[in-house]
Amino acid sequence: MPIRLILDFLAAVGQRAWFFGATCVAAPRALRRPALIVEQVFFVGSVSVILIGVGGLFVGLVLALQFYTALSRFGATSSLGGLVALALLRELGPVLTALLFAGRAGTSLASELGLMRATRQIDAMEVMAVDPMRRIVAPRFLAGIVSMPLLAGIFSAMGILGAYLVGVKMMGLDPGVFWSSMQHEVSFHSDFVNGLIKSAVFGAACTLIAVYEGFHARPSAEGVGQATTRSVVISSMAILALDFILTAFMY
Amino acid sequence: MGDEALIRLEDVHFGYGSHAVFSGLSMDIPKGKITAIMGPSGTGKTTLLELVTGQRHADRGEVRIHGRNLGTLSRKALFRLRREMGLLFQEGALFSDLSVFENVAFPLREHTRLSNILIHHLVLMKLEAVGLRGAALLNPSELSGGMARRVALARSIVLDPVMMFYDEPLVGLDPIAMGVILRLIVHLNKTLGMTSVIVTHDVKEVLKIADGSYIISEGRVVAQGSPSGLAQSRDPWVRQFLEGAPDGPVPFNYPARDFASDLFASGALP
Repeated sequence: MPIRLILDFLAAVGQRAWFFGATCVAAPRALRRPALIVEQVFFVGSVSVILIGVGGLFVGLVLALQFYTALSRFGATSSLGGLVALALLRELGPVLTALLFAGRAGTSLASELGLMRATRQIDAMEVMAVDPMRRIVAPRFLAGIVSMPLLAGIFSAMGILGAYLVGVKMMGLDPGVFWSSMQHEVSFHSDFVNGLIKSAVFGAACTLIAVYEGFHARPSAEGVGQATTRSVVISSMAILALDFILTAFMY
Repeated sequence: MGDEALIRLEDVHFGYGSHAVFSGLSMDIPKGKITAIMGPSGTGKTTLLELVTGQRHADRGEVRIHGRNLGTLSRKALFRLRREMGLLFQEGALFSDLSVFENVAFPLREHTRLSNILIHHLVLMKLEAVGLRGAALLNPSELSGGMARRVALARSIVLDPVMMFYDEPLVGLDPIAMGVILRLIVHLNKTLGMTSVIVTHDVKEVLKIADGSYIISEGRVVAQGSPSGLAQSRDPWVRQFLEGAPDGPVPFNYPARDFASDLFASGALP
């Protein structure tokens, strides 16, 4: 029995790897039609931007409160701005954005594609001699890579705004100290750029998993539901695991 | 049928896992004619269309179109061949995120570099042909089943295919919509010279318009010929199928053990 499980697991990994490869092959040709990608960026962005903005604001508020009480014990509240910005840019921004994205945009991608499979729209496209990998999968994949860093940027910006509100407006920290500690602590390359790279990788992983699950959904109402659930579960796991791997390499 | 065959199936075997769907199916589909392929539910009529459009490949035997074996074509060559095909899905399979107009325009936008004006004209012409020019701006979700199927028909003929496949085109339609679809099939066949294949179990309706027909059952052709020839057939199987008699060579009941012992056996069923 365990051998059977291992084989099934390997087969599942292999299928996903193959799908990833096929998507990468189709991607350059999809690039020739940027309108399709822009449409998808708009779609995933418009469904998640408010969620991610509000989420970021609250995370910033909470972070500032927690850090402020901890830092005040050492009389180090002056480094609040830098600490919050580092936490957001390096870790919380990319990871929490990706988790929210998987819950919102990922599920709608998975159910959209599952529905296309169930109503035979994908078959119809194949019969019309249009490659669904190029027409449906690749534009969504590229849109994920583009939009996740943008959304993570919004998340972090809103988080910093939240920290500013708590630190400066509520706790009475000097705004100059708040901003200058941020400028002092945060480096463009090792913090900001690495955060962007992380979220681009998460964007690729999230959309690929969601699209894969939808594309291979069993063609029934049940199948679409299962594909949607699976896409969130697998994406969340993948994000956290990838985060560990990327962090280990980056810092 | 002495005419030149456009599509030829030779001794096709196909199965899903251990379940055999076709075992030695052979048929010729002549150019420019309407061929009906009939059979009881579950005889693999839809699978047959999947084989002919290259969505699936035969386990054994050959499916030839223009004399070329689909099983050995590259994906590129298969896609080129598919541009000559139109397939009307039973479900319609319209793209739910596109309007009626954009659905019909889809193959044009994907396969041609025509100007927007030309695409506009072509789409409206095809929609006019199916009587739905007025519905161009609706979304697929706003259409009735019959309308959706007519839009799907317009979409599948927009590239003027050489061959047209219809998967159960009459299922679930009211008599008027049925008449409309049948008239369209004949009209398209005559005016565009298409080779049409209709897969169906609506025997009476389709035999009115078909030039030739095949009846398949249990993986092979059990009868073939012109509609009038089939109507005079003495074969008990064909008679039962055409007349829709409940019992005959094809049993109504799924195989089971004796009714009485099933009813009175204790603890036999959960």
